[in-house]
Amino acid sequence: MNERLLLGRSIETGSWVHKLDARSKLTGMLLYVAVILLSDSWPSMALLAAFSIAVMASTRIPLKYFIKAAKPLRYLMLFIFIVQLLSVKAGDVLWSAGSFSLHEGGLRLAAFSVIRMLFLITFTALLTFTTTPGKLNQGLEGILSPFKKLGLSPDRITLMISIALRFIPTILDEAQIIMKAQASRGADLQELPLKEKARMLVSLLVPVISSAFRRAQDLVYSMEARGFRMDAPRSRYHRLRWGAADTVFVAMFVIMGVAVALL
Amino acid sequence: MAIQLEQVSYTYADNSLWKQTALHEITLGIPKGSLTGIAGATGSGKSTLLQLFNGILKPTQGTVQVLDVTMRAGEKSPKLLPLRRRVGLVFQFPEQQMFEDTVEKDLCFGPLNFGMSPEEAKERARKAMLEMGLDLGLLTRNPFRLSGGQMRKAAIASVLAMDPEIVVLDEPTATLDPVSRAELISQLERLCREQGRTIIIVTHRMDELLPYADRWILLKDGKIAFQGSGGELAADPDILARCGLGVPHSLRYWRGIAGRFGLAGEKPRLTPESLAELIASLPGAGTSGRPEEEGGCP
Repeated sequence: MNERLLLGRSIETGSWVHKLDARSKLTGMLLYVAVILLSDSWPSMALLAAFSIAVMASTRIPLKYFIKAAKPLRYLMLFIFIVQLLSVKAGDVLWSAGSFSLHEGGLRLAAFSVIRMLFLITFTALLTFTTTPGKLNQGLEGILSPFKKLGLSPDRITLMISIALRFIPTILDEAQIIMKAQASRGADLQELPLKEKARMLVSLLVPVISSAFRRAQDLVYSMEARGFRMDAPRSRYHRLRWGAADTVFVAMFVIMGVAVALL
Repeated sequence: MAIQLEQVSYTYADNSLWKQTALHEITLGIPKGSLTGIAGATGSGKSTLLQLFNGILKPTQGTVQVLDVTMRAGEKSPKLLPLRRRVGLVFQFPEQQMFEDTVEKDLCFGPLNFGMSPEEAKERARKAMLEMGLDLGLLTRNPFRLSGGQMRKAAIASVLAMDPEIVVLDEPTATLDPVSRAELISQLERLCREQGRTIIIVTHRMDELLPYADRWILLKDGKIAFQGSGGELAADPDILARCGLGVPHSLRYWRGIAGRFGLAGEKPRLTPESLAELIASLPGAGTSGRPEEEGGCP
């Protein structure tokens, strides 16, 4: 229903990336972040771009969906570009007016930051596009399990995340219905002038928040009724399985990291 | 005709991977002042259809004509605010849309949005309360402190307060107790018969609406499977099974009795009272000596 919201939506195409263990995908993403931060020259950026696009294409999800994922952040990227461009005073002067000047180093750094950000968002979208929230959560729990020894509870963290993720679409759908209901009563947020909009927002927020609380209450009751206990040993319907493809996937990122560091 | 649809299709999230066509080439007409029931299995497009009636959704194909407003696919639609006052749309669980701290304020929300004066809005609110059979003493109460049935009726009243010519309700009786359900349906029928409003009700329980509805529209997989009177439906109940709906009890009883006594051409009696009356008036009905064979007569 809500086209703009791509968060937490998986797109099933059955590619090899879809079939990977969520843990390897998570590890891969962490390594990818490191690779992005390491690459600081044009050749390494080019390599990174080629690699990222190749992996994205191998998921068989149209590339435009990855780009759509980055779209909401376009103004932030522009902002970062301008700030970097104006503040970094290194390298040759490209252009100057009085005490004000733009430097070659600034332009390069600005371009790098934007490219990094773009790839960071589009590429990590791959994780949510190819992994259902449930599996993602299970993978996260697997990755966090060593922290159990430190007295942290990965169960608690992943439960929180999974409840939050699970209810985003539900609450959005509900908000949409309430918005339509209020529009039917003459409060169309899309047709009203801005000043009126703020007033009408109350008619949306009160019902949405009260129903979110009601849902939370129902969820607590139903979990308790089923005897849910935090950190209880639990068996799983889907088991995580680490296969050869997972090793290959993670190794790809390690090799990328080495290549980028050498370039 | 109050509402006329020509070859209307509606597709959610057109141009995306999640594209889903909910309605296929629907053509239907709903006469002014009629009481129409819409039924269909889950996911047959009932709720989508309702949202076309007041322009919340615009057709992706075809033409929707409501009162004197015409919405064509691909064309910029006229200002919809006046239409929304004239077509009251009550969503499922309407009590969830209430947000003010008194029932009166919530009922005035619609009328005020449509530019009525505060006095006029309050007057409309009182009238709507009475139309829904609610006590005026509830006006000063917090809507969140009403009982479930009262809350539902108050929420429906908040739509009636706009004085709409057409009232469209999506499963208004869902989760209500049987007494409240019957009350609500008879109040809605009064709105239609006494005030001449066009009433459209989507329901899962055809039983409760069968005795009152003038017309029925059955949907199956986004297409119209049947359009006509309750009598026609009574003549061919198989259509219900084809739409994934159960045959209502009242219709089954009527079919049984009509078949037994050769009454197929008559107007169906679909309430327990009218059916009992008919049976009592039948010559020799009491003399068959095997009354238990007709079993299940209410």
